[in-house]
Amino acid sequence: MRSQSVYKVPQGKLLKISVEYNEKKNIIKNIWITGDFFAYPEEAIELLEKKLTNTTLEQEQLLQKIRSIITEYHIQFIGVDAEGLTKGILMCKL
Amino acid sequence: MKEQWRLLQTGFNTAFSNMAIDKAILVANSEGKVPPTVRFYGWMPRAISLGYFQSVAEEIDVKACKQLGVDYVRRITGGGAVFHDKELTYSIVIPESHPAVPKNILKSYGRICNALLHGLQHLGIQGTYAPINDILVDGKKISGNAQTRKINTVLQHGTILLDVDVDTMFSLLKVPNEKIKDKLIKDVKQRVTSIEHLVGKRIHFEEVAEALKKGFEEEFRIELVPGNLTKEEKTLAVQFEKECFSTTQWNHRR
Repeated sequence: MRSQSVYKVPQGKLLKISVEYNEKKNIIKNIWITGDFFAYPEEAIELLEKKLTNTTLEQEQLLQKIRSIITEYHIQFIGVDAEGLTKGILMCKL
Repeated sequence: MKEQWRLLQTGFNTAFSNMAIDKAILVANSEGKVPPTVRFYGWMPRAISLGYFQSVAEEIDVKACKQLGVDYVRRITGGGAVFHDKELTYSIVIPESHPAVPKNILKSYGRICNALLHGLQHLGIQGTYAPINDILVDGKKISGNAQTRKINTVLQHGTILLDVDVDTMFSLLKVPNEKIKDKLIKDVKQRVTSIEHLVGKRIHFEEVAEALKKGFEEEFRIELVPGNLTKEEKTLAVQFEKECFSTTQWNHRR
């Protein structure tokens, strides 16, 4: 199953996320995070997408995973944050 | 004596060449081979630049671009899609360690945008910086900006609208459906302004460049000395254009 979401982060930028996921297991198979936000370093987005593969599509698990990746790889987002990314990803499921 | 930075006026180039030149300056500056640099330039042919994180398929009507002879290129900076038509684009490249640049990224956007605000003042225009990356006049957008930091060096580039053709802009940038498109065009017309609209007359690229030069000199208390790309920068730019910015692999990577 593949679906998309468009989410305007409050006081932030427009996120357009596309997720391919396993419905039975409720896990992410592939994810593409696009939009007009900023991230430093930029290449970290590809890393984030890769690391989110096989993550369960569930609020707390996603949020924790994204937060830990941001901390571990010293990623700085502007115009979007871990909460916004989590919300945008989960919106793909609706 | 004031610190001297380099001023480059590289004229009008293709989208691929323009993005390659900015990256070449970034690399040369990171290696200490060139001083902090401010560059003013235009786009020929007209082009769309996409933010690093944007998807071509989501943002651009590729077919319409081809029909109108409009190129498109992915930037190394984030932010949104920009239709580069009647406008001036600037870039500034400076070491991250330079005292003129705040360590905090948002603050550094503000500092660089202040230079643009001083420049606009020289044209009789009073603008305000609207975080994250816009400059507004009377609440309408006149300038968008985007910054990256790589190899301990800051590159910020942005545009100042001289005039705006919203109808063409929206035939190139993707909008979900015709109904929304009409509404958006009206909406965008109300949200975007340009130097020509504000001063009520035709204005030349060179006048705006001169005003912005003064703006950068005032904000950073420096002197901008006209210069040229070094031989090495030119070689790098040709390389980056060929290997990256003109390739489908780069432009369609998202």
